[in-house]
Amino acid sequence: MQEIVGSKLAPTPAEILKIITETPDTKTFYFKPRAKLEDPKPGQFTEIYLPGVGEAPVSISGVDYDGVIVQTVRSIGTLTEYLFKLGKGDLIGIRGPYGKGWPIEKLKGRDVLIVGGGIGLAPLRPVIKEIEKNRGDYGRLSILYGARTPNLLLYRYEFDEYRKIPNSELLLTVDHADETWTGNVGVVTQLIPKASVDPRNAIALVCGPEIMMRFTVKALEKQGFKENQIYLSLERRMKCGVGLCGHCQVGPYFVCRHGPVFPYWMIKKYFWVDQI
Amino acid sequence: MFLGSLYSGGVSELERLFQEIKNMNYRIIGPRLEDDVIRLGDLRSFDEIPYGISDIQRPGYYRIRVDGGRFRNPLDSPKRLLYPPELTIFRVTRDWKIEYPEYRFEKTALFGVKPCDLAAIRIMDRVQGELGDEYFLKMREKLLLVVENCVEPGENCFCATMGTGPVASTGFDIAYTRLDDSTVLFQPGSDLGVIILGELNLEPATPDQIDAFKEAILKASEKARAGFRLENLPDMLELNLESKVYQEIAERCLGCANCNMVCPTCFCFDVIDEPELDGSSRRVRIWDGCHSYSYAQVAGGHFRKDLWARYRHWVLHKFVYWLRQFGSFGCVGCGRCITWCPAGIDLREVIFKVVKEVEERCRR
Repeated sequence: MQEIVGSKLAPTPAEILKIITETPDTKTFYFKPRAKLEDPKPGQFTEIYLPGVGEAPVSISGVDYDGVIVQTVRSIGTLTEYLFKLGKGDLIGIRGPYGKGWPIEKLKGRDVLIVGGGIGLAPLRPVIKEIEKNRGDYGRLSILYGARTPNLLLYRYEFDEYRKIPNSELLLTVDHADETWTGNVGVVTQLIPKASVDPRNAIALVCGPEIMMRFTVKALEKQGFKENQIYLSLERRMKCGVGLCGHCQVGPYFVCRHGPVFPYWMIKKYFWVDQI
Repeated sequence: MFLGSLYSGGVSELERLFQEIKNMNYRIIGPRLEDDVIRLGDLRSFDEIPYGISDIQRPGYYRIRVDGGRFRNPLDSPKRLLYPPELTIFRVTRDWKIEYPEYRFEKTALFGVKPCDLAAIRIMDRVQGELGDEYFLKMREKLLLVVENCVEPGENCFCATMGTGPVASTGFDIAYTRLDDSTVLFQPGSDLGVIILGELNLEPATPDQIDAFKEAILKASEKARAGFRLENLPDMLELNLESKVYQEIAERCLGCANCNMVCPTCFCFDVIDEPELDGSSRRVRIWDGCHSYSYAQVAGGHFRKDLWARYRHWVLHKFVYWLRQFGSFGCVGCGRCITWCPAGIDLREVIFKVVKEVEERCRR
């Protein structure tokens, strides 16, 4: 009898509908899969495939009408370099969505503190959109966002929209200012004491470089956040995305399956160990 | 004939058993000599099994000798059959059709595998039962397991410590033990095993033979031990994540991932793209190992840049994380990673040292 194996790893072709240039090295792609994917939850990711090149995991930064998947990509490796050569109407492969996302249910009725570093705001954008859409379900919203330089901030064209969300604030910072910048200068953790959420009844959602997340956790704990009030989205090499290939392990967890979003208490033991 | 009971025969009965399985149209895979190494491969006849040839396995050392002795586990583990090193999973055509290769899964018998490798198959059952690799699961359904119990473990064997050998207790179809040149004891372990062995008209083993069997197994158990114990081992290792032992090992480790490749339970894979001349792309699953440099590398970063961290991950996965992921240790004590390490790094010694550091710290 003939059998099929490997179907779990088969991509669906998707058309590029739109590309937005975010920063010199980052673009947001709108992908329309030929077969509709399962509805993504905020914080999940997909595997993007280019024939002859390979696959890479990319977080989902939004869902547009009719199953269009929005993903913000930084050109940093082989696959993304080729992806950046594609244009509107070109096809890519996509599979997913995968992983456990942000704890949306837990956020209801509570203050939400979003801390993003650089490209790390991408998987947090769907949370902002969700809160905006169902504003009454959530408490105060603080968005703290930092990047190395002002021109590396993502979604600048939406900042005014974020600021208009009732009962919310958007605090920005950059490591290095230029002549256009009039706001905060410094790392994003410096904004944490300024956030006007109530640490006793807030959940913090954090995504950014590992080093930034470590300092963020320290700063949050200083403000009174407990380890079950902090959620982190980890980056690892999620090669297969479905918990088969082993590459993305952190301690006993497969980041693709048990994460990428983890409550801090779950990974605390490994989070501080160098190269675990 | 009763499940689990011992029956007496000789080498000719063993050969008849082989023939019986062959007559049932099984593809038979077992140990065979290839280029002075005992490998796992297709056996056309019973004579191909290198009985009478012994292997000498030490850290970073492997030799064979034609001396009428015994051989231990072959270089290849059953993983090579059940979870091939290279497997085309599908082809993506120019117009984005997914074309799956046509795999046929035949009835296959593993003849003469060792208890450690049986244990490894059972660990893989749990791993793939959880993760669900389709190729493995389909191969596994068709598998007949004939196990050879070990009465002479090698220098690198530590199955007795891991509780996986030297005798197989469950999960096989048929087990046999070559007590000496003339006596082979047979044991059916499944209904199918009972049916197949039933064809041989064997007599129940005599009380003397059973005593000799027990004695041989006891002796073998004493030999196949490591210097560490399993009791509290995961906790001990986790208490010493920052151990300097890993850094000492990394001084010698080459990061070649041989240990990952020969390990009967290591399951990590990569998928690579093979572009074809017709414009299609073949997606090929290949074994990968946590010792290789690129394993935890991502575009723009690296999560285990240092070799000591990759070595540590391997140890922790096998002896700590595996328990939490799949309910058992990820090591069966086959010793292949010790034999086939070009630097002769001895996993048993590494664990012993890391644990000892914790014990000494506690005493202080």
